[in-house]
Amino acid sequence: MTAPPAAIEAHQGEGEDAIHPAPTRFLRRYVFSTDHKVIGRQFLFLGLVFLAVGGVMAMLIRWQLARPGVPVPILGRVLYGRSGGVISPVAYTALFTMHGTIMIFFAVTPILIGGFGNFLVPLLIGARDMAFPRLNMISFWTMAASTSVLTASFFVPLGTANAGWTAYATLSTTIGTPGVGQTMWVVAIYLNGSASVMGAVNYITTVIRLRAPGMTYMRMPITVWGFFLTSVLNALFVPVLAAGMVLLFFDRVFGTQFFIAGSTIRGGGDPILYQHLFWLFGHPEVYILILPAWGVVTDLLAFFARKPAFGYRVTVGALIAIVVLSSVVYGHHMFTTGMSPLLGESFMVLTMIISVPTALLFLNWLGTLWRGAMRLTTPMLFCVGLVFTFGIGGLTGLFLADIVADMYLHDTYFVVGHFHLIMAAALLLSSFAAVYFWFPKMFGRMMSERLGKLHFWPTFVALNLVFIGQLLLGYAGMQRRLYDPSVYDFLRPLLPLNRFISDTAYLLGAAQLVFVVNFFWSLFRGKPAEPNPWQVGTLEWTVPSPPPHHNFDRLPTVVRGPHELGSPEARARGKDWLAQDEIVEIVESAEESR
Amino acid sequence: MRIEIPPDVSVDGHLVDGVLGYLTWATGILFLVAVGVLVVSLVRDRARPGRATGAYTHGDRRRDQLLTLAVGLIMFFAVDAVLAARAHRALSDRFWRYPDGDPRALRVEVTARQWSWTFRTAGPDGRFATPDDVVTLGELHVPVGRPIFLKLRSKDVVHSLYLPNFRTKLDAIPGSTTRMWIEATTPGTYEIGCAQHCGTSHYKMRGLLVVEPEESYRAWLERAETDSRLRYDAAHPAAAEGWDWEHGS
Amino acid sequence: MIARADRRQVDGLVGLAIFLGATTMLFAGLLLAYAVLRAQAIAWPPPGTPPFPTAAAGAVGLLLVGASVALRAARPGVALACGAAFLAGQIGLWRHLVAAHLGPGAGPLGDVFFALTGFHALHVAAGLVVLVAARARRPRLATIYWDFVLAVWLVIYVAVCLT
Repeated sequence: MTAPPAAIEAHQGEGEDAIHPAPTRFLRRYVFSTDHKVIGRQFLFLGLVFLAVGGVMAMLIRWQLARPGVPVPILGRVLYGRSGGVISPVAYTALFTMHGTIMIFFAVTPILIGGFGNFLVPLLIGARDMAFPRLNMISFWTMAASTSVLTASFFVPLGTANAGWTAYATLSTTIGTPGVGQTMWVVAIYLNGSASVMGAVNYITTVIRLRAPGMTYMRMPITVWGFFLTSVLNALFVPVLAAGMVLLFFDRVFGTQFFIAGSTIRGGGDPILYQHLFWLFGHPEVYILILPAWGVVTDLLAFFARKPAFGYRVTVGALIAIVVLSSVVYGHHMFTTGMSPLLGESFMVLTMIISVPTALLFLNWLGTLWRGAMRLTTPMLFCVGLVFTFGIGGLTGLFLADIVADMYLHDTYFVVGHFHLIMAAALLLSSFAAVYFWFPKMFGRMMSERLGKLHFWPTFVALNLVFIGQLLLGYAGMQRRLYDPSVYDFLRPLLPLNRFISDTAYLLGAAQLVFVVNFFWSLFRGKPAEPNPWQVGTLEWTVPSPPPHHNFDRLPTVVRGPHELGSPEARARGKDWLAQDEIVEIVESAEESR
Repeated sequence: MRIEIPPDVSVDGHLVDGVLGYLTWATGILFLVAVGVLVVSLVRDRARPGRATGAYTHGDRRRDQLLTLAVGLIMFFAVDAVLAARAHRALSDRFWRYPDGDPRALRVEVTARQWSWTFRTAGPDGRFATPDDVVTLGELHVPVGRPIFLKLRSKDVVHSLYLPNFRTKLDAIPGSTTRMWIEATTPGTYEIGCAQHCGTSHYKMRGLLVVEPEESYRAWLERAETDSRLRYDAAHPAAAEGWDWEHGS
Repeated sequence: MIARADRRQVDGLVGLAIFLGATTMLFAGLLLAYAVLRAQAIAWPPPGTPPFPTAAAGAVGLLLVGASVALRAARPGVALACGAAFLAGQIGLWRHLVAAHLGPGAGPLGDVFFALTGFHALHVAAGLVVLVAARARRPRLATIYWDFVLAVWLVIYVAVCLT
């Protein structure tokens, strides 16, 4: 679809309405594209590749914890040939560092925010593209550049970064980690952050400026709210991480001492300064990652329960409250650093307060399901799964918010279990829900429902077992980032639990192969998708699957909210849903006025 | 498969275990209620022939808002406020009330480094940085039933002194001094761990905390002090290193 | 109906506002580091720090004023020259500081000055690139950006050199 019909062109002419012909040359169309749909798919593929890499790293970590010192089968010979296939302590530190870094910055961020955010936001608000398409393209290639730097860091003489994804000073300075690998990690993170900020500029401007007529803020799908609020946090707090990275770079390369304590003569810096800068970013970051997931799930639960989302305004208010509060709770990562009591207790109380809007959000999900007419499709299963795991994961946050409990649980596997229940389980489940739901729109084909359900059940069960298992490890006192827990007598009895967690994790990994098969098979051989296979009313389903380059032949005018399912208006027309831009004549009848 | 929390041998560990227990009950009940609602809905509220659509409501009526508000307030007061109040009392009355000036307290300087712990106590003269200080590597001997006042420093990167049997940990940060105190109720040998990633051998940074009855502690101390005095070499003060207790705190 | 050009102009302003907000947060992080270093020092500048060439540092900054003025007078060529001259001046100043034991690594004052001005200079360089690439098309956005760069320099100068 390159040139639009003349009749349609006659209606447009000004502003964003103008339809530009689609590019034809291969490079412009598939590589250096400014089309948000292409860029979205590029981010999605990049993210999925790194999700696989990060996942393999997790399997390696679990292998070492379950069978310390035993050579890794198959992969061991390839990766750890020099140590006879055994993961060495240094290699282990690089593994957990890179697993965390990759999952957060190179998997979830590009999949959810870069991938789905890009593809969906213009379509959901009724726009032809993002506000700044060229900036969008530059943002993808900046992220691609950051992956190159990160990958290259594995091949330098002293090895890649190994100070943890949190890279605390002074371990991350040249005192703890000499060598250029850690410096390259700093550069890669900085580039990745730049891509995120570029994306934030685009998403925020697009949502503010390019909403179709009638698309008020309160009629936007919550998915859009999710991406919008995530972008606000990205714009505010990724730069603080960047500041930390700049200073760390200076400490490593120019011999400054921002994070290295000095002498009374020279004067110097403070390692804790790094932690403040890092967690000022780090805590909002976890909300940056989960906000899109919350948005997607809120919408999808409504779609598949066939009723409007419960408490739309309260949900939006809760999300905004969480965004505001997320900036003042970060100190709960630093309770054991010897903070002043006033500061520590303030962070504790604020962290506890943030549980209230989160609970309201959760309650509204239950309210959406209650008295619905649920269709348990694959995307819906994944959403319900998220509700379950996020329930557990969120509640375990309370244990860590309390300073007294945190003194014991800090830096144990309880923390690992907590954040994996949310980051890995909830985020992963929502990412899969998004893929299964929007695959038809993105690629014009349906994924297999049977394979989808076969993917869901083992994934859901295994995720819960693995990460609840880690909560138990933490309760029993096992610290994080231990190459070999059997060094400690009190941890030896935990080997069977560690084994169980690892074995379940391998099953979890294996179950993802079902997804890979389904994804690629459906890409080429899936049933061709109709424009609106799920029968819902948001704007992306009013255009063909996949949408043409210009998205909408005629820009829509929105007349109702995003979840108008089962309304009297719809029933009067013999259906249970109405599109957001579908105009319905008002028919005065005895039935309507009852 | 044994999953047990390490035995608690401290005077205040019960405060930690109490919070863990309360939270397990509170969050457990909240979660079960939520899952209950979810399961009921999953079973009852399914699309069926003749029932293809859900109840059309936006959940924004007065009673919906009141219900939401009520649950939010219950959650806040039953869980958050209770926790915060208990924590505040526990912290200000016990954990953060340091035995400054308590003559019974044993003062210990802890130096963390990649990848071991050294401990220094003041010796009979009661002053640090004198030849009779007792310096031990990897093993901390303390008497039972007396407050042990620890100050921590690090020589290189951030470490964290972790005492699982005392339900506590504290970071040791290069360039500053942090402080904590414990009191043991039961003699025995307990493990010390590092709880902050500090490099390649972080996992091997293990120590021992030996708690002895007052009698045998004194006997040990006498032997250790004699040992210190004999081995003290003025030309190599680093072997008896630590740092002055009062400075930089 | 607002013409397309005007709508795009407002889009650009919104986008620039967000970008400048993000950049402000970055410099705020760097300034926070400066504040912490200064608060923890026993004296500021720390004892033994050589005297800082405040006047020279200020003079280099005047070139940025020139760039902003030139842009307002619709003379992007002059602005480009001023911006480039500023960068050259900064590099010269840095070399002088390193020689005078005020470089990065020599002490906290040098650390702070180099981190702040080094990162600021990167933004000046980026601004030059954009000026060249998008010369006449968005004069208003360019003016706002260069005013911002000047404002940041002023804050750095006052916070680090004058106090």
